[in-house]
Amino acid sequence: MIKHHPKFELIQAYVNGDLPASLSMGISIHAEMCPACQQKIAQLTEQVAESSFEAQTIETESTSIGDTSSDTSFDFESMINNITLSAELDEVAKPVTKTITFKTKTYQLPKVLNRIKLGKTANVGKLSRTRLQLDEDEIHSSLLHINAGGGVPEHTHKGFELTVLLDGSFSDDKGEYVKGDFIMLDTSIKHNPISQDGCLCYTVANDALHFTQGINKLLNPIGNFIY
Amino acid sequence: MVTTQTQLPTSISHDKSTHMNESIDHAQLSEWLKQVAELRCKVAFTHLFHFFAPKIQRISRSKFPNEAQSHEVVQETMSNVWRKAHLFDPDKGAATTWIYTVMRNVTFDLLRKIKSNREDNLSDDIWPVIEGEVSQDEAYEDHLENKQLLDVIETLPEAQKEVVKGFYLMEMSQEQLANHLNLPLGTIKSRLRLALAKLKGQLGENND
Repeated sequence: MIKHHPKFELIQAYVNGDLPASLSMGISIHAEMCPACQQKIAQLTEQVAESSFEAQTIETESTSIGDTSSDTSFDFESMINNITLSAELDEVAKPVTKTITFKTKTYQLPKVLNRIKLGKTANVGKLSRTRLQLDEDEIHSSLLHINAGGGVPEHTHKGFELTVLLDGSFSDDKGEYVKGDFIMLDTSIKHNPISQDGCLCYTVANDALHFTQGINKLLNPIGNFIY
Repeated sequence: MVTTQTQLPTSISHDKSTHMNESIDHAQLSEWLKQVAELRCKVAFTHLFHFFAPKIQRISRSKFPNEAQSHEVVQETMSNVWRKAHLFDPDKGAATTWIYTVMRNVTFDLLRKIKSNREDNLSDDIWPVIEGEVSQDEAYEDHLENKQLLDVIETLPEAQKEVVKGFYLMEMSQEQLANHLNLPLGTIKSRLRLALAKLKGQLGENND
């Protein structure tokens, strides 16, 4: 049962279209598996839509005169004519399913990721990682696979780290996480996730991991690698 | 009935416009969108255009500094409405919600194009314009198992319904609601109080 959900502010920013693609996808992936959040998103979208197209009306009464006269280049009629020139309707693209294989296990990808270009898979020990080609500068999104018994050494984050569990489970000192869980961590959190039976995660981080414990500090140069 | 069309979006009047408040005639918008889809009706599209285009323009002007870009959002959004109208399903939601989704998606893709120089148009994958089956099951089970209660909530005046749904169904705090609805905290509190009194009365009646 899913216990970890995106908090309200995040859902709100998602509905407004204010989040980067990587985080928006994280929320879509979670919602695909979580009816409760699906409902919240639907409700909020309805409300935002309502107030967007309604509040504007009130505003219009006081500002429209200045606005429309300053904007003489906007010709509604010719835009309408242009748009309606062709009566053709768009065809609906058929939904495709895409799978990905790590080691010997094959997973079906969430719908949202079906068209995303994936990089080559890199492996270190029990970890495998494939980057999503989203080009969001310092924000990196990946599919991270942990083989049974593997884990990520204790680390903190210089920025944020989002993990959405796509399959399997893992645990850290706070408890166990299952398929669908949406786990958002910030700089203050130290953790050391371990996966008994293996798992596949969608991860987004805006900076390298920072390993905090003894010998693992030697890993800091590869913090970049994992997330 | 004669309806006069002028440049101002507020002047879109319908036969039933009773009081001059800001409420949206959802049935009418939905009907126009359906006519666009099924009959490729340009008149209905023109009505939609006059209702939505100025609003879309104003909203996008707050997201793009550049006037040309806000025009692009209007152009793109409205042509998607024209070409994808058949994907709208009136049983699944309001026309405003659907057109908002189209506009938000166009805006998102354009911003991403400006920022990352990518034209991958991811938005329709993130927020499908064709609504999949939203699983109705158990979403609110934890909070409101009582179908009857939900029905009673639906009978509340719009202003109170909004607050009740936000507070109980979406678990927003009163502060978040005030922010979200752009109302003073006091108003939220009093609406909630009024709504609860009404709900109590209604449920009491029904339980007799």
